[in-house]
Amino acid sequence: MSDVDAALDTALQSLVGGKGPVQVATEPVGASEVSAWCAVMSEANPLFVDEVVAASGPHGGIVAPPATLNMWTMPVRIGGGSVGRDTDQPQQAAYQLLDDAGFTGVVATNSDQAYEGHLRPGDVVSARTTLAGVSPQKQTALGIGHFVTTEVAYANHHGDPVGTLTFRVFKFRPGTGRQRGDEPVDDSPRPERPRPRWNQDQAWHWEGLRQHELRIQRFTGSGLLVHPPAVADPTTHDMAYDWVVASGRGTLYSWTAPEHPKAPAFEDPLVVGLVELEEGVRMVSNIVGVRPDHLEIGMPLEVCWLDSHDDVTLHQFRPARPGRRTDTMVRGDVSVGDRLPPCPIDVTTDLVKSGALATFDHQDVHHDGDAARAKGLPDIIMNILTSSGLAARWLGDWAGDEVGFRSLRIGLGASNHPGDTMTMTGSVTDVGEGGAVTVSFFGANSLGNHIHGSAELVLPEVSRGAGGRA
Amino acid sequence: MWTPARQTAIVGIGATEFSKDSGRTPMQLATESCLAACADAGLDPTMVDGMSLFSMERNYEIEVARNLGIPRLRFFSMVNHGGGGGCATVAMAAMAVHSGAADYVLAYRAFNERSWHRFGSGVQDHHQSPEANDVSFSWTSPFGLLTPAQWAGMFATRYMHQHGATSEDFGRIAVADRRHAANNPAAFFHGRPITLEEHQVSRIISDPLRLLDCCQESDGGVALLVTTAERAQGLDREPAWIAAAAQGVAEDQWMMRSYYRDDITGLPEMGVVAGQLWESSGLGPADIQAAMLYDHFTPLVLPQFEEFGFCGSGEAKDFIVDGNIEIGGGLPVNTNGGQLGEAYIHGMNGIAEGVRQVRGTSVNQVDGAVNVLVTSGSGVPTSGLVLSGEGG
Repeated sequence: MSDVDAALDTALQSLVGGKGPVQVATEPVGASEVSAWCAVMSEANPLFVDEVVAASGPHGGIVAPPATLNMWTMPVRIGGGSVGRDTDQPQQAAYQLLDDAGFTGVVATNSDQAYEGHLRPGDVVSARTTLAGVSPQKQTALGIGHFVTTEVAYANHHGDPVGTLTFRVFKFRPGTGRQRGDEPVDDSPRPERPRPRWNQDQAWHWEGLRQHELRIQRFTGSGLLVHPPAVADPTTHDMAYDWVVASGRGTLYSWTAPEHPKAPAFEDPLVVGLVELEEGVRMVSNIVGVRPDHLEIGMPLEVCWLDSHDDVTLHQFRPARPGRRTDTMVRGDVSVGDRLPPCPIDVTTDLVKSGALATFDHQDVHHDGDAARAKGLPDIIMNILTSSGLAARWLGDWAGDEVGFRSLRIGLGASNHPGDTMTMTGSVTDVGEGGAVTVSFFGANSLGNHIHGSAELVLPEVSRGAGGRA
Repeated sequence: MWTPARQTAIVGIGATEFSKDSGRTPMQLATESCLAACADAGLDPTMVDGMSLFSMERNYEIEVARNLGIPRLRFFSMVNHGGGGGCATVAMAAMAVHSGAADYVLAYRAFNERSWHRFGSGVQDHHQSPEANDVSFSWTSPFGLLTPAQWAGMFATRYMHQHGATSEDFGRIAVADRRHAANNPAAFFHGRPITLEEHQVSRIISDPLRLLDCCQESDGGVALLVTTAERAQGLDREPAWIAAAAQGVAEDQWMMRSYYRDDITGLPEMGVVAGQLWESSGLGPADIQAAMLYDHFTPLVLPQFEEFGFCGSGEAKDFIVDGNIEIGGGLPVNTNGGQLGEAYIHGMNGIAEGVRQVRGTSVNQVDGAVNVLVTSGSGVPTSGLVLSGEGG
């Protein structure tokens, strides 16, 4: 370690343990803000928005979704924001030291929320930040830098603790990453997939795919559906046919995951499934958005599309978005190893922008494409609070309205850009006393895992039924 | 009963060595194999007047006949669908000699499937035209299902799900084959048995298929000589009687991609073969002492036991336990090591092993082997044979 590095390290370590002044939100928790958040996240839990249902529910009234914990004191809500660093805050002082030493790059790596109580409309949230740690210099794929960990304790205006956030960023020197130079980067374009061939007996099927229609041959005499298409109805020898447009819903009938030899035209992992459509026919298709070890025969799937060639669109299938339980799981309903239903989430420009605004995150990379590109990003990126909110919504869809959240720990990876799909998959990794359940999960997009993490949930002893309405 | 029971016989078998690099052309391998089969029978090769091939054979009969100096060839045919046609070449030969179309018919397979074009590398370059057979690949290839192992993987997953079979059940086939190959000096894997544990840690080829579930591409050639009972009397070898031979295609048949049937865990085309073999031979599962079952991929061996009635549907995983398919078991299988252990010569080496069992000359000889079942490609239009030491 050089003298300069040692001096920086000493200065950083001297800040560790420091606490900043308490920051108080300028506005209380608002029902309309909660409602907007729920709309963006597709959160349907009435205990967050419906006063009547919530009054007879387990919390005795409306509560804010736990995953909103740290959004009420975001910079725009504590009168701060973009005017320089408030070096009264120890983490800000550490960031400034690192900036000055050339570690100007920053990426958030972890956001671990732990909940101690519920926030309710009208609560005024205060936050106090402790600089919990600064790592020694580390080399990562991004570059050489330091991990900076802060802990923020949140309380309501009565002084009751409501939860903590452990937040970690990596401050790095741009251009010192391992990816360039040390490791060969294969940036050759992926070759095209094998091109389908067709003649007039099947051309209508492929034309349909171009229009995002999954067309199934129907022999008009008998109404028999046949796939792959035939020339004659094997039961009547009638050759007159038209087609029906399939709903695009089906289930997984079988699958294989080719690993060797690798065909360079295909992504890895490659999953080829046999999909049984709800119309009754089967078709071979890629299964996307789910790792092979999360596949289950019979799992519900829905169609999506891949433009594989200039003039060819292929059908693909992904896990169908699971419905929301109307009752709540109770203790004994889950066991270690249980898988949660995979859930695809379309990452649209709308979702990224409205998610950032609904969580009071006004950083430009979440809503301004030009600003994002100026910072070297291909497009705007989803903010952490939106990712957390979507994960929490998916967990709630699975467990039900009355599930309790103790924590939501998230590690961040590949960015969520508009146009991608993030698929949530997860499984139960622990079942403890008192209804405690730990779920470990991944949110994967086309670049890798956007998030990975775990949540500690608490299941009630008995379910009150549909959203506590029973 | 379209082949005459016990009126025709395999009277000669010949083979080259099996390797990963023969160092010779496939034409030379074909010629050597055919000469060896004639020599085994004690027949002057110029007496051969029929040749029975199956598709993917690139050494056409005219050039082999030219090399053998055959003055006239009266019968020649090529059965379609690759590995499924192995036993069918014997069926065609039997019909030809029985009908008088030919006197002596050679059937063979010879290739450098490893050192030249690797058979398992896939069909990505297959699509050339909008003819029906090329179009048939459009339902799978654009999605990355390109190789036989990948096609088989789709069946394997469903079989496991529906019948509760596991990767270990597939592994038991490989262990049995490799145990037999270990005794066979001609085998690829001579002296190299494997354990179930080794199977379980072998790398994934196309999940759930592991490396040791898959046969290995091979270089080599095998030839068989077929004639009538009457002509067999004048030759050197005890005839391996063709008690029955049959082909089979079932409803909604595809080449290893019959994914659209109500149930995809069976091999109904093998059932079509089984019914004919039992009917025309007058035999049944209890009369069979050894079986050479096509084993390019282990998961497609299990349903063969079921289709031939050695056990019920979905029960093969229980039938094969405790060494039941190994030497000393109830139904020793693939006593040459099979295609997983001896070599992958599209099943023609399994027919040759069936002949050796009937003759009593196998390196893994089954005591009292009289009737031997042989099958060809599984999951494809296929064929089968019952060979017998008892003539008509």
